[in-house]
Amino acid sequence: MHIDTTNTSKIALVGNPNVGKSVIFGLLTGKYVTVSNYPGTTVEVSRGIYKGLDGGSEVIDTPGANSLIPLSEDEAVARDILLESYNKRIVQVVDAKNLRRGLLITTQIAEMGLPVLLVLNMWDELLDRGMNVDINALQGSLKIPIVKTIATHKVGFRELFHSIPHASVPELRINYGKFIEEGISHVCRILNNATVVNDRALAIMLLSHDESLEKKLQQKLPPDSFQEIARIREDVQKHFSNPLSYVISIKRSQFVDNLIEKVTTSAGNEREARPFTRGVFFFFLVPLFAFFIGYKLVSLLLFTISMKLSIPDLLSMILQLSAGGMMSLCFTLYLYETEFKTRKKISETLGRITMHPIAAFPLLIIILWAVYKWVGEFGSGVCVDFLESKIFGSAETPSDGFNICIYIPFIKKIYTFTHINFAGINYYIGLLAQKIISKDNLIYELFLNEQSGLIQVGLTYAIAIVFPIVGFFFLAFGIMEDSGYLPRLAVMVDKIFKQIGLNGKAVLPMVLGLGCDTMATMTTRILNTKKERIIATLLLALAIPCSAQLGVIASVLGSISGIYFAAYALIICSQLLFVGYLSSKILPGAPSDFLMEIPPFRMPKISNIFIKTFYRVNWFMKEAVPLFVLGTLVLFVATKLGVLSFVERMGKPVIEHFLGLPVEATRGFILGFLRRDYGAVSIFKVLEEQGKGHGIDPKQLLVSLVVITLFIPCIANFFVMIKERGAKNAFLMFAFILPYSILIGGLLKIVLRVF
Amino acid sequence: MIESCHEELLELIWTIEEEHGETEKELLIKKEGSSSAETYLQTLVDNGYILLKNNNVILTKKGQAEARLIIRRHRLAERLLHDVLEVKEESMDSSACEFEHFLSEEVTTSICTLLGHPSTCPHGKSIPPGDCCVKTNKEIQPVVFPLTELQTGKNAKISYIVTKFHGRLDRLSSMGLLPGVKIHLHQKYPTYVIQMGQTQIAIDSTVARDIYVRHG
Repeated sequence: MHIDTTNTSKIALVGNPNVGKSVIFGLLTGKYVTVSNYPGTTVEVSRGIYKGLDGGSEVIDTPGANSLIPLSEDEAVARDILLESYNKRIVQVVDAKNLRRGLLITTQIAEMGLPVLLVLNMWDELLDRGMNVDINALQGSLKIPIVKTIATHKVGFRELFHSIPHASVPELRINYGKFIEEGISHVCRILNNATVVNDRALAIMLLSHDESLEKKLQQKLPPDSFQEIARIREDVQKHFSNPLSYVISIKRSQFVDNLIEKVTTSAGNEREARPFTRGVFFFFLVPLFAFFIGYKLVSLLLFTISMKLSIPDLLSMILQLSAGGMMSLCFTLYLYETEFKTRKKISETLGRITMHPIAAFPLLIIILWAVYKWVGEFGSGVCVDFLESKIFGSAETPSDGFNICIYIPFIKKIYTFTHINFAGINYYIGLLAQKIISKDNLIYELFLNEQSGLIQVGLTYAIAIVFPIVGFFFLAFGIMEDSGYLPRLAVMVDKIFKQIGLNGKAVLPMVLGLGCDTMATMTTRILNTKKERIIATLLLALAIPCSAQLGVIASVLGSISGIYFAAYALIICSQLLFVGYLSSKILPGAPSDFLMEIPPFRMPKISNIFIKTFYRVNWFMKEAVPLFVLGTLVLFVATKLGVLSFVERMGKPVIEHFLGLPVEATRGFILGFLRRDYGAVSIFKVLEEQGKGHGIDPKQLLVSLVVITLFIPCIANFFVMIKERGAKNAFLMFAFILPYSILIGGLLKIVLRVF
Repeated sequence: MIESCHEELLELIWTIEEEHGETEKELLIKKEGSSSAETYLQTLVDNGYILLKNNNVILTKKGQAEARLIIRRHRLAERLLHDVLEVKEESMDSSACEFEHFLSEEVTTSICTLLGHPSTCPHGKSIPPGDCCVKTNKEIQPVVFPLTELQTGKNAKISYIVTKFHGRLDRLSSMGLLPGVKIHLHQKYPTYVIQMGQTQIAIDSTVARDIYVRHG
């Protein structure tokens, strides 16, 4: 896509985080960018074309910014786009119910002298809260076009399109008081129209001590002018005890407050949910769901200890039922007392309960359990099984086909429509191939070998196993993200994350890491300091298993016993905390403040979740499939050349004596570098073969799975680590993780011997 | 004008009254222990500081005001010597006795402010409050406090933000958390969650400590 930038104007979308810029971008350009209910999701600038204007114009979606005097990398990106020198219009997106915060930016754009169109988005949420904004009055004060929209429902877009050409510079001027105004005029004299941007705006930024701007101006101004500016700043600063940037912010805020007083009205009464809906929610859904939480918590607990203790069925039934009853009673009474009486909206109640000091924790466990059921059992169990053995099958033996049937719940019968006699894609490919070449041919083996064929293993694996697991995970993640649950999770884990040198904000990369560590490593950019970004990258590479790997591990360990899965989780979590704690002590730098906006709890839009999942999975498959095929190829070549057995011999002392695993497991660890989950499967297969007849040794399995989880990240993740953190840091992390994971495995083996 | 010996006597009358509710003339003279106690007493009567009634000594309004200031100076001096200068108890008493005679009103106020308007002396007796103490109680002390001391579920207005970290100040102000803004505290644990207009913001306790608010 190439556009001639000289004679077309550009449109830049600007606004606070989480106000819907990306949705509007999508509607203007027809291009999808990830839309999310988590502040700071747009880390990269997206560009597209809006055809509505003559010749078409480029639309730029900027990361959310609260101020055009940047405090973080993404805010700097947004600001830089506004400073670039070409003809542009600004479409500023404002969350209508948070007009004040939006107008704080509008004043800065006005100072820059850029034409603006103000979009008051989420108009429905404003009305829901019983407020109103007098658009005509606001338009009258600012002299710019203003439109109201509900972007997710595509309401108000015709006016938006019509108004874009009429964008104009807001007529406002803030008086910052005698001393600052004098400072501004002094700085303006130095700047002397050296750039395309309005001098006054630059002067205000420079007085606020915007260092990144000074760097940008370095080529345009004579070198001694910066000393001059610093001197002026100091002179002005003498009159104030607070930093100038703060004084300027206060003045700006007072200006906006005055403006807002004139244009907003509060109708007073919030729109209430219908009494029937509320009744159903508080007196039926809450007790029912709380009962389920209590019941499930106890049954999970019983499952974990069932290895060591045998509990009679009746007792466990009584325990579960009473826990359910207790939980139900507590929740209902508490919510009735605090929420029902105060006539809060249901979504507000949900938003509050999910970060309540006590109630949020049982909820969290249930949510984790539900995600596990969804991804681990349904996604990586049922779906993978069906795809792998029925649809793809094996080149050697035909699968026996499957039934299309329907399960009728109440009479407990399965009604079968028809039997599909499908022997598996690989089987048919195999048959076809055998018409041309024999089974012993090298090329046949290259593609259809049982252990390392490119189609039989590489492609099948990517599509039949990884695809469903990742897809199901991203669906679950999308729901957590769009409902607003993730930011609330950030509130809950902040205290713990503080101990490992991060803060609550890091919950997004960490949870996303459970889907794909590679993708998560890229989102560590939202963290504030370099120290945090390094710690997050290290922990992702070390201790966060990706969904594909976790799916395999959960199904393998879960099939053996609950206690081993619990032990696995415990070990990995303790390593996460331990290494995090150590690195927070070792690495220089102070912890950064946790200061995060919590978006309202919303009903997620199903279509958005599906679109988002589609784009994420699509990205993932593009990255993963070639690597899978490449990995399988490497494995194939290595087997044929005997390299593999050489490495096995090299690793033998460590693997066999220190970890107590069969030599063949070495292959699994090597594969782990190509795909983490791949390694887990192949180790499982090795152990299965070794324990033929008398079953797998669970202790060996636990050791090997702990090591493969902690083991070096997959190759894709490693490349992203190099890209994001630099080659030196990435190799240092690599050099730490490799021996450390084996050390922990060895220690675990010794500890397990005692039991 | 009365001299320091008369001031001592007035002080004694106040303390005896504080302990026993009334002051007997005999007890007073015995405690004073000086031979000229009787003459001093007469001078005070002549100057209208005290009344003699049924063998009891009673402070007049004028006497009460004067005694109150002397006591205040004495006990503030004790606090100063004890808390700040860390003088030993014996020498504290004797020095305080000297302080009470030469401290001007202005210096007394400064000491009172310096010590944070204490309400009791090191012996646990109450210090009569001066104008400065009354003012503080009304205007500053309980009115503005860190956000960490606000009760959950209450509304407040930001008074000022005090922090060593420039970046923190900028971050708060870019979010719109500035003096004069009304907030509502939702919860304190595990992290502070406040509502500002229609925005919910989660903040660390370290940041919350720097935000000073008043009820409203």
